[in-house]
Amino acid sequence: MKDLKIVSTQSTPLIETDSHRGVVYMEGDSYPENSFEFYSELVAWVTSYLKDNERPMTVELALLYLNTSSIKVMMDIFDELEEHHQKGRDITVNWRYDVDNERVAELAEEFKEDCSFAFNIIGQE
Amino acid sequence: MSAPDLFDLRERFDNEKILLCFNGPISRSLIEEIGNALRNYMKSEQASPAAALDVFAVYIELTQNIRHYAVASQLLDADTATVVVSYRDGHYHVSAGNIVRQEDGQILMDKVVALAALDKVELKKVYKEQLRKPREAEATSGAGLGLIDIARKASAPVVPSLKLLDNGTGYFSLSVQI
Repeated sequence: MKDLKIVSTQSTPLIETDSHRGVVYMEGDSYPENSFEFYSELVAWVTSYLKDNERPMTVELALLYLNTSSIKVMMDIFDELEEHHQKGRDITVNWRYDVDNERVAELAEEFKEDCSFAFNIIGQE
Repeated sequence: MSAPDLFDLRERFDNEKILLCFNGPISRSLIEEIGNALRNYMKSEQASPAAALDVFAVYIELTQNIRHYAVASQLLDADTATVVVSYRDGHYHVSAGNIVRQEDGQILMDKVVALAALDKVELKKVYKEQLRKPREAEATSGAGLGLIDIARKASAPVVPSLKLLDNGTGYFSLSVQI
């Protein structure tokens, strides 16, 4: 399957996927005006990866600020991962953040509350 | 015709502890640029990263709400936004306003007043419920979360106002203390 490599802009994060290793990587701020349009490729990639194989999936995040429509999209993605985790798929999310900014950890915690797969919130000095 | 009295304007900004003010048609790129200036300013003022992120988040939700409303309503001049960020009495304040249809303004007033009556725990519950609602097909954004998110980040009830104007329009604004 075709991998994504979307460069970051001021209001959108870097997004990279690796279908061989089953990894999605995202880094930066996310506040596009139309988040559903911006994230449509990623959402399609995740759906297709989960449909095509039974392999584990890891989401590596270094996201800082998300506007509410980006939060909605991320929740939808996590819900889809949760669904597959319930069916026995190995799913991991690692969200790295700067320990000086507790808001990022709080945001990640709220997502984690609704997920039963491994969701690691990793503070970095 | 007299030239604008800039010194007078500046004095007013200083007196009201306004650190950033914008009035005019707002575009996606302007939102980004002003937001960038706001972030840099807060960094130079050594605001805590949490406070800086809260101010930025409220600024983004307010201004993007105006942009979405302008597109959805097709109302003339609805995209002309007034945005003010100030710092007084130990708190940052973010305010934004624009022209709306009176009936839309009233719906917003009611929503904001209803949210202002909720405590942080109740706001979180409402937020999570909204997050779980399926998205309306034609909705490009919003997700209905913006006003709740703003209320959650505010350290005092959000102050809405609606000033009735001609032709069934009104000037709607929100003032948020962080």
